[in-house]
This record gives sequence, C-alpha cells and structure tokens, in this order.
Amino acid sequence: MLAAEGGRPWTFYAFAAFFALFVLFLYGPMMVIYILSFQGPSGGMTFPLNGVSLHWFDALISQTRVGDIAGSFQRSIGLAVAAAIVTVVLSVVAALGFRRRFRGSAFAFYLAIASLIMPGLFVGLGIALTFRLLGLGTDWYTSGLGAQLTWTLPFGLLIMFAVLGRFNRSYEEAATDLGATSWQRLREVTLPMLLPGIIGVALFGFTLSYDEIARTALTAGSANTLPLEIWAMTTTVTSPALYAIGAVTTVVSFIVIGVALISIAVIQRRRTRGTGEPI
Amino acid sequence: MLSETRNGEIKIVGVTKRFGDMAAVSDLNLTIPDKGYCCLLGPSGCGKTTILRMIAGHDTPTTGEIRIGGEAVTGLSPVQRGTAMMFQSYALFPHRSVLDNVAFSLKLRGSGKAERHRQARDLLAKVRMERFADRLPAQLSGGQQQRVALARALITNPRVLLLDEPLSALDEYLRLRMRGELRRVQKDLGITFIHVTHTQLEAIAVADLVVVMAQGRIEQAASAREIFTAPRNAYVARFMGGQNVLTGIVESVVDGHAIVAGDDGARLSIAVDKERLVKGSRLVGSIRRDRVSVSKAEDGATPSNEVNALLGEVHAIEYQGSYVKVTLRRPAGEEFVANVFDEDFFRDALDIGDRVHARWSARDVLILEDTHDAGEASMSEAAEALL
Repeated sequence: MLAAEGGRPWTFYAFAAFFALFVLFLYGPMMVIYILSFQGPSGGMTFPLNGVSLHWFDALISQTRVGDIAGSFQRSIGLAVAAAIVTVVLSVVAALGFRRRFRGSAFAFYLAIASLIMPGLFVGLGIALTFRLLGLGTDWYTSGLGAQLTWTLPFGLLIMFAVLGRFNRSYEEAATDLGATSWQRLREVTLPMLLPGIIGVALFGFTLSYDEIARTALTAGSANTLPLEIWAMTTTVTSPALYAIGAVTTVVSFIVIGVALISIAVIQRRRTRGTGEPI
Repeated sequence: MLSETRNGEIKIVGVTKRFGDMAAVSDLNLTIPDKGYCCLLGPSGCGKTTILRMIAGHDTPTTGEIRIGGEAVTGLSPVQRGTAMMFQSYALFPHRSVLDNVAFSLKLRGSGKAERHRQARDLLAKVRMERFADRLPAQLSGGQQQRVALARALITNPRVLLLDEPLSALDEYLRLRMRGELRRVQKDLGITFIHVTHTQLEAIAVADLVVVMAQGRIEQAASAREIFTAPRNAYVARFMGGQNVLTGIVESVVDGHAIVAGDDGARLSIAVDKERLVKGSRLVGSIRRDRVSVSKAEDGATPSNEVNALLGEVHAIEYQGSYVKVTLRRPAGEEFVANVFDEDFFRDALDIGDRVHARWSARDVLILEDTHDAGEASMSEAAEALL
C-alpha cells in the first residue's frame, strides 16, 4: 500500500499506535496507583477517592500495620549500593584486562555473559542450596548479594566493553609518553575519562539490584528486601498503604536515575564547554 | 637516566616488526642524524607509523635494535629514551585544561603546582597559546589543539620529537602554515624531528631527510631534492609524482648514447656514461614532468621515428597556478604528464582531445634502478600501491 502524496507511510501510524499502547500500559496503571495512594483514611483500594490525605504514607512508618517497610527499605538500599560498588569495580577491572586478549578470553567472556540467560529463580535456588550444603546461613548481605551479582555483573561487563570499545588507546599512550607509571595512567587519565560510563554501570547495578526478586527470593534469608516485602504484602495487606509503598519506591528510583544522569551531563558539559570564556 | 646525553641521532639496525604473520616492517636499516628533520613518507600500511612507535617505545621490534644517541633503547620508557610523541589525534586529555595538559608530565614527576604552571605557561607562550591556558581542549580549534599538543610534548625536554601525521587533521590553509611553524620550532630547539606523513609535498617541504617507504621497506632515503629530481626506482618516481616512467628495450649503444625502443612505441635517446647497458636489455627510465614541452600536432600526424618525443591525445588539463598539468593518453603505455609553465601554455592553449607532440631532451632522462633487477614484478606492485 502506498501513502498519499506528501502523507506519512502506513508504518508510521502502525508504530504510533503501538507506542501509544505501550505508554498506556506502562504509565496508566502506575498513575492509578499513585493517585490511589493519596486515598482518604476511610477509602478503599479502588476508586472513587474518598477524600485526599497522606494517611497511607503515615501508615508505612508504623510497622505493626503493614510489615517491616522501613527495615526492608534500608536493606534494599544497602544491598543496591553494595551491588553497584562491586559491579563497578569488577567490570571496570575485567573490561580493562580483556583489552589484552589472552588464551580463553572469549570463553571466559561468554561464561560470564551466559548468566543473563539462566532462569533467575533457579540460580537463586542453586545458590541457596549450596549455602545450606556448606553449612552457611543464607543472608541478604551474603548469599543475597552473590545471587544479585550474577545478574548485575554481566550487564556491567557489557556496558564497560562498549565504553572501552570507543576509548582511544592513544590517550593512555600519551600518558605513558609523558612519563606516567601504569598506576598514574589509570588514576589520572583512564578512570577520569571513563567516568560517565562508570556512573552508568553503577546506575545499572543499583537499579537492577533494587528491584530484583527472582534471584533474591530464596537467598535473602529471614530478612526481606523491599521487593520481597512488597510481594508478600500484595497477598496480606488490603489497604491503600500498598499504593503508598509503590509511590515511595518509584520516587527513590527516579531520584537515583536523576542524580546519575545529572552527574553525567555535568561531566560532559565541563568537557565540551568548560569554565573558560566563550570562544 | 639515559637522556643525559642530548645526542638525538637515531640508528635503526636490522629491525623487523611482525604482527602475527604480517611483517609491518622488514629488516630495516636507517640512520637519522642528530638535529635532523626526517620525514617518513609512504601510503597507509607501509610501516611508517610502526617505525615511529618503535622509536617511541610504544611498540617493540620483533628483531633488530634501535639506538638513540649511540645507545640501545630496548626496554626503556619514552622518558628514559628522551623521546616525546605528538599523536595523530593529539590525544589531549579532555578532562584537563590546556594548562594542566601541558603541565601533566611535570605533575607526574611531583613538581609543585606553582612551578609546573609557570613552566607550562612559558611553553604555551612559545606556541602563542597562553591566552587559552584555562580552556578545555574541546574548546579549541584543530590548529590550536596541535599547538597545545606540541607544547605538552616539548615540556619533557626531549632530544627527539616524534610526530604522527601531525597535519592530517587540519584544513589546507592551516596545514601549510603549521608545517612552516614545525620546521621553525625544530630549528629553534635544535632537536631531532621525525615526522610521519603520506603527503609528498609536505615531506619535501619540511624535511632534510625524506624516507620513502612501501610495504615495510625503504625505497629511498635521501634529501628532498634528490628524492624529487633523482628518484632511485620507478616506485619512488611514480609516488613522488614529478616524473613520467617509461620502459623499453635497449636498441643500440653508440657514442655514450643509448637508443631505447619504448614498449609504447616511443623512442628514447639517453646519455649513458657509467651505466653498463647491453643491447637487448630492458631499461626503465624517468623523465621530469616539468622538462617536457608540448606542441600541437598537425592533422593526421603519425608517430615518427624522432627520439625523445611521443604523440598523444590531451586527456586532462589542470591549472595549478604557476604551471598547467597536461595529461596525455596514448594507445599504448601509461599516462604521460607534462607540467607546462603557464606563460608557455597560454601562448597557444590546448584543449582536451587535441593531438600533441611531447618532447624532452636526453639529459632529462634518468635511468632507474629497476633496469638492473628487471623489475616487472616490482613495477606492477608499485603501480598497485599507487592506486
């Protein structure tokens, strides 16, 4: 079928319709949840709104009513920060190392990446079983962290590979040429230049960990992370407090993403425009 | 540290560099005199950058040795060698100001902030960039970035400066200006410059010593004038572009003059004094393009028996300012070019499609080395390299 003269092809309308559906499915239900989280104290879990209040946000803090939100939130943040740090350190070091091809480097790479296609629930199950066999207890900060790293590390590696693929070696050679030791070269040239990519890896590590369930479910031990706590509550809590949790956690995610994007933008701007007078 | 001696003579002794199965440089020998300006010239992939990187210490020869100031430098760092390199893309650190880029090397050596900034400002003044000290590299034009890169390399006080295609990122106008400036800086500092380029005119404009390379080998290393007016072989003659190359069979040798029957039908007479030419042997010769005169041929003219002349059809006319490049085509043989002084050309201007006689004198014909190794193979290789 041909488009009329000057009109758009039919594929434009097909994709536009698809995109509209996508946006509707993604944000529509979320908006409903955010709106309902401001439900009045006597309101229920569905429309109509019975007044507007912050009652259900207040309810989150009182542990007795809706479970251990504050505790699980702290654990999740701690876990996400730890996962981000370990992911950054290991993927930067590994990606730098992989620039020198060594025997079996391709195999090692695929071995690491393969964990992306492993079913997460079974990875978690396997890790939990192994810990039990070894006589170690499962805890969110031991087995839980390890299980999450099987998810965050391959992503971090892929990102760092892409970042380093575009990194011109001559910057490092210039540093060597000017007398830098390999340590000085790393600290003064390579790492500062890779910083935007490193922030990206940290962001990925944080957010992937922050809402991970499949691998964490069986490895977190007795204390729940936030997603696990919420998951449990969907069956037990029957008040708009659930929506309040959704609103709060989304805000946290947006803050993290915002901070990361702003810092990348600031770094890029300092490099292109700098502080000097305009040209 | 080795660079106590300021002697910047470089000797490359039997150096081969292999990457896997491919030899980028094969058994290369070259001496670059102290305080000289040397250009390594050749098409991409000829090994010129590999040589530069081995002198700098960024690559290690597979076999052979590199000596700077008489001492072998294998295993030494660039600073210990007393070399500094200016990278093709300049490789200025994007996260540091111009001043901090230049002062970087001093910072690494633990020099205090005030002291290193003072020295860096002095050098920036030398390249007339002190006004831009607080800018970031991305805020500078290509020419300005190059000056900063030069200052950054010079702050290590090297005895040898290595320049990897330093002018390739600049527009034509800046390129001409900067090459003059590089030459001036080299004279001022009195250190050895090694400059890699693929542009013939750039090389002969700046260098004392021009090294023409092809496929990991040196084809000729000589002064710019010699490379241009007396190429050693057909490859150099074709690559430098100032010569026409003709091949043929020696017909007779009489009175110190050889008569050669060209493969394309033209006949050459060549003055031979020390050359041992045998009747029936192959000869490869070259004729300077600017020593060829052209004149219109009358209608119906046929190739004559006249020596040092040929008949062709004008295929292209390119005005070059002080001369006009006239390209002739003939039924047999490669294109033949005459660079005609502009006044001579416009006295009786030619048109594309005109049939013309091209004439030259015996003393402007050079006998090339390929004559002796009857290099059919190397000739076609050279032609391929040019394409």
